[in-house]
Amino acid sequence: MPFVYHRYFRLGFAACVAFAAALVVACGDLRSRTPAVADTAAAKTIGAVTLRDDFGDTLALRALPRRIVSLNPATTELFFALGAGDRLVGRTHFDLYPTAAQAVQDLGSAIPPNVESVLGVRPDLVLLYASESNREPAGRLHAAGVPTLTLRIDHIADFRRAVGILGRVVGDTARAAVVTDSVTATLERVRVATQGKPRLTAFWKAWDSPVIAIGGGSFLSELVDIAGGKNVYGDDPRPAFDVTIEDVVRRDPDVVFAGPESGERMRAAPAWRALRAVREGRILIVDTMLVGRPGVRLGEAAVSLARLLHPGSLP
Amino acid sequence: MTQRRRHVLLYLVLAAATVLAALAGLGIGPVRLTPVDVWNALGGRGDVTAVAIMRDIRAPRVVLAGLVGAALAMSGAALQGTMRNPLAEPYLLGVSGGAAVGAVLAVAGGAPFGLVPLGAFAGAVAAVMLVLAIARAGGRRPDPRVLLMAGVVVGAFANAVIMIALASAPADSVRNALWWMMGSVAGATWGQIGWFAAYGVLSAGALLLFAPEIDVLALGDDAAAGLGVNVDRAGRRAYVIASLLAAATVAAAGLVGFVGLVVPHLVRTRAGSRHRAVIGAAGLAGATLVILADLVARTLRAPSELPLGAVTALGGVPFFLFQLRRFK
Repeated sequence: MPFVYHRYFRLGFAACVAFAAALVVACGDLRSRTPAVADTAAAKTIGAVTLRDDFGDTLALRALPRRIVSLNPATTELFFALGAGDRLVGRTHFDLYPTAAQAVQDLGSAIPPNVESVLGVRPDLVLLYASESNREPAGRLHAAGVPTLTLRIDHIADFRRAVGILGRVVGDTARAAVVTDSVTATLERVRVATQGKPRLTAFWKAWDSPVIAIGGGSFLSELVDIAGGKNVYGDDPRPAFDVTIEDVVRRDPDVVFAGPESGERMRAAPAWRALRAVREGRILIVDTMLVGRPGVRLGEAAVSLARLLHPGSLP
Repeated sequence: MTQRRRHVLLYLVLAAATVLAALAGLGIGPVRLTPVDVWNALGGRGDVTAVAIMRDIRAPRVVLAGLVGAALAMSGAALQGTMRNPLAEPYLLGVSGGAAVGAVLAVAGGAPFGLVPLGAFAGAVAAVMLVLAIARAGGRRPDPRVLLMAGVVVGAFANAVIMIALASAPADSVRNALWWMMGSVAGATWGQIGWFAAYGVLSAGALLLFAPEIDVLALGDDAAAGLGVNVDRAGRRAYVIASLLAAATVAAAGLVGFVGLVVPHLVRTRAGSRHRAVIGAAGLAGATLVILADLVARTLRAPSELPLGAVTALGGVPFFLFQLRRFK
C-alpha cells in the first residue's frame, strides 16, 4: 500500500478533528463548563475585572480593552450588539454578521488561530473558542502577554453566560442585561406560541457527504424544541455526527430541516426518496446564516423555525 | 482431482460466497425487514418506504461494493503478475496519489461536489501516464522496478500538492475531499453503477483476454522475450488497463485499501498460477470482501459509518494471516 494512503488516514483524522471543532463552533458541544466569574477587591475599581475562562485561566483586566480580537462568530456578533464593535481589530474569516463586522480585519481561521497574525494587530484582549485545539495557541498568547479569554458557547445557556461576561469586559453590564432579556423574551414568546401545537419530529441535515445530523448536544436541537418540534436525534448527546440515510429512514421524521442547497440535493437524490418527509415534500429550508450560530439572533432563529414548523403560529 | 475440476469447485464456492454476502447486504440494515419484505420490496411490491430502501439504498450499495471490490482485486492480480512483485497493487502506480490530487484540486477550485469523482479519475489517469513517462525516460523499456520507483515518486509529489491544497483551501471543501478519499459506497446510485459497470466489464474482459500474456511476463522478461512475446507492449498494456480500472474505482468509491493488495494472494494458492483463473477468482473474492466490509462499515457504529477502506483492512488481515500459516 502506498504511503500516501496512510497519510490520508492521518490527514483524515486531523480533518475530522478540525471538522468536529468547526461544527462545535456552529452547533455546540456537550461539555459545557460553567466558569466562575469572580469579583475581587481590585475589580471594584473602575473598569478592572477579573475573569476565569473555560480553560480555567484567570484573567485580570486592569482597564477596559480597546483593541479586541474576537475569533468566534458568536462573540463578534455579541460585541456589536453590546455597542463595542468599534473596539474590534480582528475577526475570523467566517464572522460576516452584522455587516459592520466585515470591515474588521479578517485574521483567517479560529480553530486554531494564526497566533502571529493575531499578535500582529496588537490586541489587548483576544476571545477564543474553548476547543481543545485552541489550548496551545491560548497558552502562547498568554505567554506573549496578551490577555486571552476562551469561552465555550454551545448551548443557549452558554450564550447567556457569555453575554454576562462580555458585558463586564466592555464595561456595560446594563446593555448586556438588555440583550439577554430580549433574546430570552423572544424565545419564550415562541415557546408559548407553539405550545398547543402537535409536536412534529424533525431531522436536521447539516451536511451532505457524509450526511451529518444535528444531535441533542447542539443549540439547534434546543431551538427545534422551542419552536414546537422534536429532534429525532435529540437523544444523542453529541452536537453533530454522521448518520446513514437508512438510519434516518428508521427514525421516520415528519419534517427535514436543511439549508437551500442541501435541501435541493436531497430532493434530487434517489436514496432520500426512502424518507417519508422527502416524498411528502416536507423539506423545510432554513436560513443558514441566521440559524448557524448561538448568538444574539437566537430569538430570531427560533421565530423562523417556528414559522416553518407551524405556519401561522407567529405573526 | 484434476486442475479443471478444482477450478470449477473454487469458482462455485467463491460465487456462492458472493451471493451469500450480497443477500446479507440486502437483508441487514437499521430498518428491520423480513426476507419476505426484502423479496417483495425488490419486486416493487408492498410498503413504499421498504421498496425505496431496497431499490435506492441497499441494492445500489451492495452492487457498487461488489463491482468495486471485484475491479480492485482483478487489477491487483494482474499487476502482481505483470510486475513480478507480490507487493504491487493498483494504488501503487500513481492511482491513489493522482486521484487524491484530482479530488482535492476539484474541491479547492470550487467545483461542485458532483464533479469530485471526475476530478479524481482525471487525476488518476494523468498520474498513471506520468508514471509511465518517467519509467520510459531512460529510453529503454520500463523495468518493473523503475515503474515502482516512478509510482512512489509521483505519489510523493502528489502528497506535496495535496498538502499545499489542504493548507490553502477552506475547511469545508477540504472535509468533503478527505471524507471522500477515505472510501465509501454510501452515495451509490444506479446511474453511477451503470457507467462503472460498463467501464469495468470492458477493462476486466481485457485483463482476462490478455491473461495468458501475463502468465508469460510472470516468468521474467528474458524468458518472455524468448517465448516470442513483445515484453514492452504486453507489460504496458497490462498495467495501463489494470491502473485505469483501479482509477475508475476511485471515482466510484474513493480509496478502498487492502483489497487490491491482498485478495489476489488469498486466491492464488488455490487458483494456481494461470492468471486467467487467478484474476477471475480474485474478482469474486474481492466482491465478497467489499460487500461484507460495507455491511460492517454501515452497521458496526450505527447510526454513523466507518471508512470502508479501514474495514476492508481490518477484516482482511486475519484472513491473510490464516492463509500465510496454511501456506507454510
